[in-house]
Amino acid sequence: MLEMKTHRAGKIFLAVLVLSIIAMMVVVGLGYMETPEGADPILLFGWMTMPLVAGVVFVLVWLVAYLVYFFKYWPYR
Amino acid sequence: MVFDFIALGIFSLIIIVMAAYGYKLSAKTAEDYMMAGRTIGVVVMFFFVLFAISSSWTFYGFPGVLYLHGPGYVFFIWGSVAGFAGLYMFLGPRLWALAKINRFLSPIEVLAERYESKTLRVLLSITMLAFIIPYVGIQPLGVGRGFEALTGLPLWVGAVYTSVLLIILVILGGMRIVAWVNIFLGVVYVTALLGSLFWVVSIVFPDAGLVQAATMLVEIDPAKLSAPGPLGEYTTTLMIGTFVVGLMAFCWPHVVIGVMTARDKKLFRWMPLLVFIFGGLFFYIIPFIWGSLVAPAAMPGITSAAEADSVVQTVIQTYLPRWFAVLVLMGVIAAAVSTAAVQLMTSSIIVARDLIQGVIKPNATDRQITAVARWSVVGIVIFSLSVTVAVQIGAGEEAMALYLTNVSVPGFAQWAPALVGGLLWKRGTKQGALAGTFAGVIYLLLGMLIKGADGSNILFFGLHPVVPTLPLNLILYIVVSHLTPRPSEQIEDVFFNEVDDYLRSDRTV
Repeated sequence: MLEMKTHRAGKIFLAVLVLSIIAMMVVVGLGYMETPEGADPILLFGWMTMPLVAGVVFVLVWLVAYLVYFFKYWPYR
Repeated sequence: MVFDFIALGIFSLIIIVMAAYGYKLSAKTAEDYMMAGRTIGVVVMFFFVLFAISSSWTFYGFPGVLYLHGPGYVFFIWGSVAGFAGLYMFLGPRLWALAKINRFLSPIEVLAERYESKTLRVLLSITMLAFIIPYVGIQPLGVGRGFEALTGLPLWVGAVYTSVLLIILVILGGMRIVAWVNIFLGVVYVTALLGSLFWVVSIVFPDAGLVQAATMLVEIDPAKLSAPGPLGEYTTTLMIGTFVVGLMAFCWPHVVIGVMTARDKKLFRWMPLLVFIFGGLFFYIIPFIWGSLVAPAAMPGITSAAEADSVVQTVIQTYLPRWFAVLVLMGVIAAAVSTAAVQLMTSSIIVARDLIQGVIKPNATDRQITAVARWSVVGIVIFSLSVTVAVQIGAGEEAMALYLTNVSVPGFAQWAPALVGGLLWKRGTKQGALAGTFAGVIYLLLGMLIKGADGSNILFFGLHPVVPTLPLNLILYIVVSHLTPRPSEQIEDVFFNEVDDYLRSDRTV
């Protein structure tokens, strides 16, 4: 991690990861995991519950950030 | 019944033959037994770590909580995926390089040398052993429940069967074979878990699969499809707390030690890819679908934690042929053995390298500490079986998932500040590490022991045990480090400058 703080790409990589964690907490905090008042639960594709959708999006953000940084900019590569 | 025992006998025989082969192959040195000779490549490492993590908890505890409380608990998985990937992206390369250059055999040894403290070595060793050994005991317990449900035999039969298998595997095979066997066990487990899911869905929900299951749940119990769940348990605070607890996965000792067995630094570039794609987007979604969607729709109405823990197996036994249920039990045994074997290896290394050679008998030879590591396995297994005994006599019945997240993880978290600071913060001092770890552990123990009139842990203020204890540990570590003299230049050279040079050079590839 120390090596990531020594260059711009590493700092951006770390910022993306931290922001994704904050975003996850904000999404949960805003109540998107709950069923809206008087409605049915929100299901993507008819079966994916919101906690699953949120997690998949979160993992995809980390995956893309990791692929870009570790295969293009990581100083130890 | 005869078929069950023949199938389980063949399964056990494969593991024993692999262990014996590993014994024949090994170099009979401590480094070979404990660190697999530092030869583990990326594919073996991935299966090694994934199935070290994916215990019988993924078959019983995880789906059990989802069944009872809806999907909110899955945030533990999202945190864990980030935590495991973080270990390989942020800490792994430095820990691996340090261990390789200095021939360290345990992560606690790394920290003891980094902070120049034998006291810290003892404190961390005892703390890690105290929280890992009961978790080892959870695995035979899981298999015991599976045996009980399938064959009607008492709980202890499955627990003893698993324990014997574990002892043979770890004593003979060492870290290398534990890693290799995890590939075999992982394939069995994924086949059983995924195969049973597809089969049950095709039988119970033939018209529209998972969409049909979700539609049924909307009609019978819609609260199970969103937070906070039917019992109102998974509130916003608890989901965020569960996510944070999951992030602590980077400091599980049996996962951290795996990093030190890596063959080269290329592994750290590829491992996160497998963690994200195979772990986060595939493997953990299987038990999630089982526990949050398929089981509640196929078998509604269960309300007790113990029955919910076994719900996946109950569904399989109800809808699928008996021979497949035996395969699934093999999958459960695979999951339990793969995790417990790595935990046992880790515990025996801590006993032999950190307590015996590090403190009690510093001049112990390579051969002696290998022997101690091997035989301490028997003692640890016997001790950990007390968990099964406690459940058998009715003294320790608790949902399995909650043992992992509420007891083991808070314990593992107590070495996180010293671990992260020791590898990444030059200013971290012995006094800071000692003060933080000691305060965190004592607070955690008192918090678990002292109960209010309503039975709650009053010292935790209604929060998850990690939430109050870890910040105290971290703050003390930072403050005391700043108030005490900085580590010597030699420590800075060995633990930071040399490592950085080594990782930047081509020597490591």
